[in-house]
Amino acid sequence: MNFLRLKDWFSERYDLGDLKKMAGEKLVPVHRYEFLYYTGGITLFLFVLQFVTGMILSFYYVPHPEHAHKSIIEIVTKLNLGWFFRSFHHWGAQLLMVFVFIHLFGTLLTKSYRKPREFLWFSGLILLGITIFFGLSGYLLLWDERALAAVKVATGGSGAFPVIGHFLMAFLRGGIDVTGETLIRFYAFHVAVLPLLTLFLIGFHVLLVQYHGMSVPLSVEKEGYTHVPFFPNVLYKDLAIWLVVLGTVATLAVFLPPEIGVKADPLAPTPENIKPEWYFLFLFQTLKLFPGEILGLNGETIALMLIAGAILFLFLLPLFDKKTSRGEKSPLFTWIGIAYVAYFVIMTIVGYLS
Amino acid sequence: MKKVIAGLIISLAATASLAWADGKVEVFTTVRYDQFIIYQSLAFFWVGIAGLLVIIRMKLKEIERIQKLGLDKKEEDAPFLE
Repeated sequence: MNFLRLKDWFSERYDLGDLKKMAGEKLVPVHRYEFLYYTGGITLFLFVLQFVTGMILSFYYVPHPEHAHKSIIEIVTKLNLGWFFRSFHHWGAQLLMVFVFIHLFGTLLTKSYRKPREFLWFSGLILLGITIFFGLSGYLLLWDERALAAVKVATGGSGAFPVIGHFLMAFLRGGIDVTGETLIRFYAFHVAVLPLLTLFLIGFHVLLVQYHGMSVPLSVEKEGYTHVPFFPNVLYKDLAIWLVVLGTVATLAVFLPPEIGVKADPLAPTPENIKPEWYFLFLFQTLKLFPGEILGLNGETIALMLIAGAILFLFLLPLFDKKTSRGEKSPLFTWIGIAYVAYFVIMTIVGYLS
Repeated sequence: MKKVIAGLIISLAATASLAWADGKVEVFTTVRYDQFIIYQSLAFFWVGIAGLLVIIRMKLKEIERIQKLGLDKKEEDAPFLE
């Protein structure tokens, strides 16, 4: 009875009829690549989980070089379920990164970026960049020697960019070297700047998905396909998948809690065999392919310029792929997409094994 | 004697805590009973998830059946019953 009264109270003030109508009218295509639609939903769900667990951890984490490492030890050893939330946040981040890449590569290979969805592609790629920066900034918050070394390498690489390199590196580090200033800066990025940008961009991205509807691959468009309503059919399937994802993250968190390394010392030499997180391995491995000097120029700068060029090309892909925009087949861009995916996968594996 | 024993215990505890601080931090409980409780909770969690999955599956089947029969569509010219 109370619920009905509350519903009436709300209905008198706000007309939910349009929203209900919109939810009822939203259709989702059914075809052999439809599983890719769920990767976006999983990514969104994992973002929500990260926000929730991140908020809980932020109540107890101390973003100070003297106390950061100790506060993590206290979260893990003294706080009720602290170990679980930290581990959950860690594995949530890993799975989030996996699904962001699957979502990106799925979009790339099915050419869902084509006209009129260019802005969906642009916002998605910016979100990927933000997610990676989330990973990097969160990694430094551990304030152990591995994290310090990895961030030194990652931010040091940005310094090799011509013209803006030194400014970029100083901006990221909050000084010349990775110190306590960097920790505070990365904390601000991790808990304030990046979440705000993410919320805005996810909102924009989801709004565009509603506006354009689900993209259908060209090959499927020609064959023909059916539709199912988003509400309730697809939403129920989404819920089922989210439950499995939730269980998987919880299981990983219980069975494989991340270790706590030795406290970072900015003055200590960098330990040997330091590797960045897996999603940086393809970049790390690419940098290793280049010699120190090429024709009198800095090899690292050339490598970074090539990587930046490849990322920019990927970003602007919808503008170059004119054939797909016209609804024609473009095998060249299919092969370019496959090359990007293959390069990422192979270099990540090589980087992991070497 | 009591003072010596107390001193020994305190110094042992201090050494142990220092060793703990220098060594590897346990990120998961080492107490067998606590481990059992955690694994048991995880098993219950999965049972709950499996139950919800079954309910969702049943609900979805029912919705699809209704949609197949066309019962979910609104009839525009349906007569009002007073």
